[in-house]
Amino acid sequence: MNAKLAMVIDSAKCIDCKACVAACKQANGVSRGVWRNWIKEAVPPVENGKLGRGHFQPGACMHCDEPSCVIACPTGATFKDKADGSVVIDPKLCIGCGNCIPSCPYGARFRDPVRRIADKCTYCPERRAAGLPPACVDTCPTKARVFGDISDPNSDAAKLLAANQGKVVRVIAKQNDTKPNMYYIASTAPDGWAVKPVNPLSFDALSQVVAPLVKYAVGLSGLGVLAMLGRQLLVGQKPDVGTPHEGPEKDKKEDGHDAR
Amino acid sequence: MSSNISRRDFLRLAGMAATATAATAAQAALAPEARAAGAVTAPQWESKFGACDMCFNRCGLIARVERGVIKKLDPNPKFTKSRGMLCARGNAGVDQVYDPERIKTPMLRVGNRGEGKWKAIGWDEALDLAASKMKDIAAKYTRCGMLFSAGADTQSQFVHRFAEAFGSYNITSHESLCLLSGNRAFVDTFGDVPLPDVRSSKYVILAGANRMEALVTPDSMDLMTIMREGAKVVVLDPRYTKSAALASEWHAIKPGTDMAFMLALAHVIITEKLYDPKFVAERTSGLDQLAAHVAEMTPAWAEAETGIPAADILRMARELAAAAPAAMVYPGRRSSDYENSTQIRRSFAIVNALLGNWDRPGGLVPARPAGLKKVPFEPPFYDDNPPGRVDAKSVPLLFDDEGSFVITRENIIKGAPYPLKGWFVYKTNPMATAPDRRKTREMIDKLEFMVVVDIAMSDTAWMADLVLPAPSALERQDPVQALQAGAEGACLVWRDPVIPALHQSRPVFEILKTLSVKLGFPEAFDFDIPKYREMQLAALPEAAEILKRDGVYYPPNPPLGGTDGQPFKTPSTKIELYSNRYADLGLDPLPVYASPKASPDAGRKFRLVAGRSACVTQASSTNNALLSEFEPENTLWLNEESAKELGVKQGDVVQVESPAGKGELKALVTPKIRKDTVYMLSGFGTISGKLSHTTGVGASIVELMESRFDAICGNSAIHETFVSVKKKGAA
Repeated sequence: MNAKLAMVIDSAKCIDCKACVAACKQANGVSRGVWRNWIKEAVPPVENGKLGRGHFQPGACMHCDEPSCVIACPTGATFKDKADGSVVIDPKLCIGCGNCIPSCPYGARFRDPVRRIADKCTYCPERRAAGLPPACVDTCPTKARVFGDISDPNSDAAKLLAANQGKVVRVIAKQNDTKPNMYYIASTAPDGWAVKPVNPLSFDALSQVVAPLVKYAVGLSGLGVLAMLGRQLLVGQKPDVGTPHEGPEKDKKEDGHDAR
Repeated sequence: MSSNISRRDFLRLAGMAATATAATAAQAALAPEARAAGAVTAPQWESKFGACDMCFNRCGLIARVERGVIKKLDPNPKFTKSRGMLCARGNAGVDQVYDPERIKTPMLRVGNRGEGKWKAIGWDEALDLAASKMKDIAAKYTRCGMLFSAGADTQSQFVHRFAEAFGSYNITSHESLCLLSGNRAFVDTFGDVPLPDVRSSKYVILAGANRMEALVTPDSMDLMTIMREGAKVVVLDPRYTKSAALASEWHAIKPGTDMAFMLALAHVIITEKLYDPKFVAERTSGLDQLAAHVAEMTPAWAEAETGIPAADILRMARELAAAAPAAMVYPGRRSSDYENSTQIRRSFAIVNALLGNWDRPGGLVPARPAGLKKVPFEPPFYDDNPPGRVDAKSVPLLFDDEGSFVITRENIIKGAPYPLKGWFVYKTNPMATAPDRRKTREMIDKLEFMVVVDIAMSDTAWMADLVLPAPSALERQDPVQALQAGAEGACLVWRDPVIPALHQSRPVFEILKTLSVKLGFPEAFDFDIPKYREMQLAALPEAAEILKRDGVYYPPNPPLGGTDGQPFKTPSTKIELYSNRYADLGLDPLPVYASPKASPDAGRKFRLVAGRSACVTQASSTNNALLSEFEPENTLWLNEESAKELGVKQGDVVQVESPAGKGELKALVTPKIRKDTVYMLSGFGTISGKLSHTTGVGASIVELMESRFDAICGNSAIHETFVSVKKKGAA
């Protein structure tokens, strides 16, 4: 049976220490200013005139079962790995067009400013090959992040899901359930931050018509490169480093909104 | 947020996930464009044990090294003290090693002090110079004319050894800028500095400690664990820190009033007889005096001082006592807050004594045996030396082996009681950590020779005559160190280099060993590190093999309660609620509360408080490339109502001023701080030309802090400063 890799997160355990974010950057050589994972901070409630319990929410690419980014990709560089269910970017096929970035409702993707191609969480395949958990999971002080194959009932992740049956939620975009494989135990906050996926109109049409295999061939032949070159240059002009992405710096700015 | 689960539009209940695992393979196959990715091969790395050095916790780690380059630092799962974690700073240890601004060769100052003009020189020339300067100073001013300061480092013990062999009593560490007030209070109450057994505790009051950001292993993680198991954690802090956010209960206590809260707890526990009468009768002394002392200190009285409702204080006192002995007022670590911080912390210790939690699960436990042998050494006696430290007798209860940096600095500036003209500094950075930076500079200007051994060109190194490059903790061999982890017992770690030392760096041990030969006392360093470790581990024959195998060794840990019936190391041999020693010295034998002093200047409305982020170890980490992404600059936390009055908007640059100095930084307008308090991170607004992420970035907190100290032990008192705040450009 094929594996289904997933992350099960007990966000109530998260202390917002950023260890997972630092570990990810170090393990994957993520460029300065961009982030493959994050911790979001819920706006604390005001109870009896003072701030109440806070809540922090670790996140990253959710490796969805119905990934909008796969549809948005013109070259087939982004695909769903049959063997383990992860959503993978093939750097050799990615032309850096940027279509996938707004197509992800979770802001999990960004354009690497150095390699100029799409990037996001990979579940650390090199570490997994070495028998280690993803860097963010391994390093977490309170073990808020649990990773594993949820089709294997003996995995830590599957056990955690089973133990919390009926109390597991996923963050999804409104009316756009991409079937994320990131599960939060009991409840989590903030919510409502996922956005509607945006695909270029012309591209939506193309993706409906053209069979996946053809798209893959287009990517391999380089036609996609030509087709998307203009777009890439345009996207390249924008300061889109970390744009849809909620890194720690953005978290900080949000402090000012807490009073609302 | 508590009802967020009902917002199904955004948070979809994933009931399927747990039950439908059989269908998942099919789902994956049906997903759009599923295909198989090529096999990924494991990296060709070697895994080597180490111990982190990004803060004092020294978490066990495994370095992944590929062709001589450290690629990643992972937690060592066998190092249970850290609960198998490595924090953001630990992960950023790689950037410390490969920091392009690291000191690479010995550097000799060629311009004016602090001007940043350096000449690279060889080690022979550097060490000859250091030895001859130290000899000159000893000849002119006695051997006590040299001050030795070493930070929290496994090799700092060699600096102390060297200073003693050289013949100077003047040794300071970082601790008199940090934790001495708390240690003083607990030593004078319990005769010991206890460890909190958070893991088994049912009720913890955290006052003046932000454990979710100022991480201490295993306490930080254990606080989260016990709360999930039903324990209660109360946080008292003028800021809504992450600890406050995550606590069972948070109170924005008025700064400087913690003692009133603690004395009110004592009042309730005594008047309602909630203490264990047998324990208090047998193990403590001074209950009657304490009862009389706190008779009027009701929760209503404390409400007026602290701003915490009396009903809550009463409830917390009862809850705390009901959970005893598995309950505690967390002793905390940094206690360099007020001029009466020792007495404030005495009130913490006294409440713990009433809880009867000594040497009990979930309470305060004595340090566990580590089994390490001291490596003996007979320091020589030099009869021309002055009678004591330069800061001797400046306060009633100075720790003789730590002294007081703030008072030492004052006395160096005055040149009294005797001149002190040389400074050897190892991995500590008073220019960025001691209050009132101008005074530190003034002290340095009195010196004839200053040598700094460090990894990076800290602000203190920037002021030196000679700077010597040290390797990071991943590039050197270290002695064995014992670490305490509450009731779980001590553990031992050591370090072997995971890569060879970079550039021309040399461990301070080698530097001191060479200098000991040049200065004529080679017998003080008549060993190498392997030999030293052997001597340390003489009583633990199996330890070395296990350290090699696991990266950590756990010596036998006797059960708690071993001190039952034993005398305490106090004058009365009991826990001293009433301190006989203090009475003899003319100090208040019970903590006497006084309302915190108001600002002497109506223009300076805000009390400045210090604190931590989990991504910052004061000035030693803010220039780290990775960590600077999390904390790129410091901001002034300013309450939103105060900001409105000042006309300050989010992100405005504000000018902050105190009698000590001034600074400019952006305002963080937030409800997360009291109206009368402002806060900023330390480690910014640096002056060194080799700290590009922090020099000219934000404001320096030590430029603003006035130079105050604890009246009993000389620890710095860094919350005694009031500042003015105005929008830049405003009248």
